[in-house]
Amino acid sequence: MTHKTYLFDEHVKLGAKIVPFAGWDMPVQYTSVKDEVLAVRREVGVFDVSHMGEFFVEGPDAETFVDYLVTNDILNAPIGKAVYSPLCREDGTVIDDLIVYKLEKNRILICVNASNIEKDFNWIKSKHQHFNCSLINASTSYSLLALQGPKSFKVLQSLLNELSDIDYYSVIESSYLGSSVIVARTGYTGEDGFEIFANHLTIKSIWEKLMELGVTPCGLAARDVLRLEVCYPLYGHELNDEVNPYDAGLGWTVKTMKPRFVGKEALTSKTSKFKLVKLSTEKGIPREGYPVLNSRNEEIGTITSGTMSVVLNKGIAFARIKLDQYPSDEVFQIDIRQKLYSAQIIKKPFVTGGHK
Amino acid sequence: MATNIPMNLKYTKDHEWALLEGNTVTVGITDFAQSALGDIVFLEVPEIGTHLSSGSTFGVVESIKSVSDLYSPVTGEVVEKNSELEGSPEKINQDAYGSWLIKVKIKDMSEVNNLLTAEQYQEFCNTSH
Repeated sequence: MTHKTYLFDEHVKLGAKIVPFAGWDMPVQYTSVKDEVLAVRREVGVFDVSHMGEFFVEGPDAETFVDYLVTNDILNAPIGKAVYSPLCREDGTVIDDLIVYKLEKNRILICVNASNIEKDFNWIKSKHQHFNCSLINASTSYSLLALQGPKSFKVLQSLLNELSDIDYYSVIESSYLGSSVIVARTGYTGEDGFEIFANHLTIKSIWEKLMELGVTPCGLAARDVLRLEVCYPLYGHELNDEVNPYDAGLGWTVKTMKPRFVGKEALTSKTSKFKLVKLSTEKGIPREGYPVLNSRNEEIGTITSGTMSVVLNKGIAFARIKLDQYPSDEVFQIDIRQKLYSAQIIKKPFVTGGHK
Repeated sequence: MATNIPMNLKYTKDHEWALLEGNTVTVGITDFAQSALGDIVFLEVPEIGTHLSSGSTFGVVESIKSVSDLYSPVTGEVVEKNSELEGSPEKINQDAYGSWLIKVKIKDMSEVNNLLTAEQYQEFCNTSH
């Protein structure tokens, strides 16, 4: 049985194509992927991402517990800050990637991928016994909207009058029609934008208001193109149970100077087996699973995510390359249906988002 | 889904349309197919002279998020391809029946009788998702 978000009927009314994703029936597109991507890059779009999971950690040890769980630095982040981090096992492999929101000193929200809610919660619970804090899986009580694009601040301010111009990757608590909402300046598109956590009815009111204001509803397909254009990894593709953060280019999120955290020993020795590279193609569209070859036509890796970029109008991809076979000339070819296409390695993100 | 299905064409269950003129069959994808695919960004069709058999894959059409094989409705030789369309595949979204992909010269005309009529294809679209 698949789950439906509280806004499911709204998506159907808008003519969305619905697909199963991570156990949920989700809108994949409303009108056209291209139009939805461009709405976010140029104006403003909204995604129903209520399938994602919300955990609350509350109590005197909330900060130290979450800091111990994840690889990034939570303890030194100020209250009101959001921190992106992998969640790793002792051997350094990645259980999930998530965002930690420091609401208060003793109250932390963690937002996790829909497909990993149960796995994450069981893992976190198993590490919890020596810490003085409560752990609540509130995923079924919360809906989540991502309002993204250069006009998102202006639009959201018309709903939440007291909303101040908070920094990127910050979080505040506010209220809408008398209900509390958590508003974070985060997202998965590279553009300025907000993620709004609230109870289902409040989110439905906000969604309806956004539709009235002419905000473009956007589906998961546009979301995937947007995140790939700005080179954000996706769990199940660039990240999985077999790789460590270094294998996915996330070394910057591993703070080995922290006194203790799960996976510290393994991750301090820095053993990566793979290098994640960004490739673009003039001809042919790279797709997940396509083999990547060197100049001597030897297979050295695989595409983990690939698409046609709407902004650049060319093929873009992440590829996981075996480190011991990494070509010094950085010449890459992609096998697309038994034909070899040359790919250019790109060092910066394919597209620069406009976030603050 | 309301779709445009011209009466004068024949259809396959893989959502190709076929138009028989003399011993040549013009092949494209249906309005239903273009709508299901979304924004089409890439098209690959075979070279002239390629021999195709009925039901075999003859090319690929890609939208931003997906790759779909194209299946030949008939057996024969490719005598023409729509090169213009390879440079602007989005035209298929705008006009699926005006955007032919290839023309195939066939020997066995009876093969065309095995294809779906417009009514049968409409029925097929209504019952399959």
